[in-house]
Amino acid sequence: MGVISNPSQNKPNPTLKAVNDELTDKGFVVANFDKLVNWARTGSMWPMTFGLACCAVEMIHAYMPRYDLDRFGVVVRASPRQSDVMIVAGTLTNKMAPALRKVYDQMAEPRWVISMGSCANGGGYYHYSYAVVRGCDRVVPVDVYVPGCPPTAEALIYGVLQLQKKIRRTGSIKR
Amino acid sequence: MSEINQALEELGAYIEVKLSDDIESYEMKNGELILHVSLNSIQKVSQFLRDDARCLFKQCMDVCGVDYPEREKRFEVVYNLLSMKHNQRIRMKVSTDEDTPVPSVCGIWPTANWFEREAWDMYGVFFSDHPDLRRILTDYGFDGHPLRKDFPLTGNVEVRYDEEEGRIVYEPVHLTQEFRKFEFSSPWEGMTPILPGDEKATVEEGEGK
Amino acid sequence: MAETLVKTEDPTIKPMTINFGPQHPAAHGVLRMVMEMDGEVIDRVDPHIGLLHRGTEKLIEHKSYMQAVPYFDRLDYVAPMSQEHAFCLATEKLLGVEVPERGQYIRVLFAEISRILNHLLNVPAYAMDVGAMTPMLWAFEEREKLMEIYEAVCGARMHAAYFRVGGVHQDMPAGMAEKIIEWADEFPKFLADMETLLNDNRIFKQRSVDIGIISPDDAMAWGCTGPTLRGSGIAWDLRKSQPYDVYDNIDFDIPVGKNGDCYSRYLVRVAEIRESVKIIRQCIADMPEGPVMTTDGKVGPPKRGEMKQSMEALIHHFKLYTEGFHVPASETYTAVEAPKGEFGVYLVSDGSAKPYRCKIRAPGYAHLQSMDHFCKGHMLADSVAILGGFDVVFGEIDR
Repeated sequence: MGVISNPSQNKPNPTLKAVNDELTDKGFVVANFDKLVNWARTGSMWPMTFGLACCAVEMIHAYMPRYDLDRFGVVVRASPRQSDVMIVAGTLTNKMAPALRKVYDQMAEPRWVISMGSCANGGGYYHYSYAVVRGCDRVVPVDVYVPGCPPTAEALIYGVLQLQKKIRRTGSIKR
Repeated sequence: MSEINQALEELGAYIEVKLSDDIESYEMKNGELILHVSLNSIQKVSQFLRDDARCLFKQCMDVCGVDYPEREKRFEVVYNLLSMKHNQRIRMKVSTDEDTPVPSVCGIWPTANWFEREAWDMYGVFFSDHPDLRRILTDYGFDGHPLRKDFPLTGNVEVRYDEEEGRIVYEPVHLTQEFRKFEFSSPWEGMTPILPGDEKATVEEGEGK
Repeated sequence: MAETLVKTEDPTIKPMTINFGPQHPAAHGVLRMVMEMDGEVIDRVDPHIGLLHRGTEKLIEHKSYMQAVPYFDRLDYVAPMSQEHAFCLATEKLLGVEVPERGQYIRVLFAEISRILNHLLNVPAYAMDVGAMTPMLWAFEEREKLMEIYEAVCGARMHAAYFRVGGVHQDMPAGMAEKIIEWADEFPKFLADMETLLNDNRIFKQRSVDIGIISPDDAMAWGCTGPTLRGSGIAWDLRKSQPYDVYDNIDFDIPVGKNGDCYSRYLVRVAEIRESVKIIRQCIADMPEGPVMTTDGKVGPPKRGEMKQSMEALIHHFKLYTEGFHVPASETYTAVEAPKGEFGVYLVSDGSAKPYRCKIRAPGYAHLQSMDHFCKGHMLADSVAILGGFDVVFGEIDR
């Protein structure tokens, strides 16, 4: 494949240069605290591995070398206590709903939820089933919905980027 | 193909001779042998099918229920067996109703355990002598037997998280859009006197006058 | 404090109960196991399944045969096309439809690609369960390549709905065969690399050799099929013993294990991948030209071009995509050798356009129920290895 060289790498990034100049000049940098916090947050969104069904396979593909979500600071955690984002990947059934909510409750604030795939979005192909929750937003508040059955790994990455954008745009520290 | 069919035919005849009291009938369908077994002999027949040298159906691949609400004995329990020795498959069927228990075959094939639990869960067919007859697939505390033909597709309850109570609550099903069924009688297969949609016309007329 | 350490009235020790799952990275999905432990040793395992029970069988009863096909993708979502294969074969048996030879070859080709997809997820996931990370990273790149092939033929990376009753939906695009051969040339190198990582790896062997030994008799009694059965030394493969489609024209071997432990199951799977590559090559070499879908207009949809010319084709198209085809009242149990074992469909039709009953026999269901039997006396950490060795996927177990 080879490395794709980024043309902007050759010339110094203007923002970085400004920060650097200010640092050498004054010895400190002034920034908005909320922006700084949100910058840090968007750079390390640790999702919880919550693979329920088919979408979990695509979710794993997104973590694996070809798509490599790690480069966005997205590192999977197995414990809800350490994670910021929950990716609901797959069909949520009535039997699973209490467990899902429990895991969500165990996550520390601030926390976000990405609903992945049509089953999690609204029941999808299983909408009329007696055992399926028609949308995981009936159980947990959802920030980003990723459509598809299952969404491709690229679609999930787009969803993660959208969530980053949302966090930056909202701009609040407390949620 | 016909050789296999013939071998199965012979096997069916052999089993019927051996167990004439316990087998109601046997038939061939699509090249598959089906035994209709009387309810109380199921254990005896299973034991025979597993151990007899001409059968050796040592693997019980599947046990499942089927619901025929119009029959007097509405449930059929179907056992699909496999003999690796003879490379043959056979199917046993027993009929039962909601109250009559079916003797369990767990003692003969341990793998029947979960399959029978599933049949109980899905159809409410009761298995006597089963070591652990609990529900298996449906939700904890589920009411009803979902694969019965009279059980609604969408079920009776749905869940949501209640912010005030701080827990998952069960509520009666409310659908924004009903499941769409296009089961219209086809004009190609002979017209019926009442066409779908006709009932609306009469109601409107009645209201109009 | 000292008083509490004095022994209590009742000297019997209560077993400790551990709840495993439903959210656990080694549970391969949404399994919950309640384990009774005697110290670190397992006394009893009670798997609670159904956490992914989606009511597939009920939904299939309410959909036409063609609408039911995609449900089979979503059962064992690691190897989607193998499940479709079983349903299509069952329906074809009831209809009495013959699939054209090219269609059969394409089906076998893709069933084997699905098998590789499955083993490429299971083997490294099992390795990860017992502590090896790298195979996962490598294998998923190969999976990506196979998914590209999936995408090229049917447009979806996973849920293909490519096998239809009467054949496959469309022919492979031009140049696909060469692409697959190209992949098959490079792939064995990866496999060899993966084997160097695992086969003689001390940690891997400590965690899997002599763990979860299944004797041939136990394997038969508990309804084990597929690599789990073959790992115990029984050479039973439906592709050989009850061949479907064109498997009887194809030359391949059945790998058989010796000890019946997790390590043999792993070796059997890796050997099966090699055999699948062999089958893929033969399929592409032997594949004849011709239609891929039955020309019976009552079952197979007409070509788009044909529809613009012929009134009959247009009517067939309309009928097939609204009402679907009617299947004469009958019943069948048809099984295929899915990557995990015998995947069977017990299909009852009543003459209408919808299945009356469709029971899905998933191999993992039988395997998982034997967990209690095979875990007894093992350490807690071994239960994860045994579970990984069984290759469970909850889509098919819970349905």
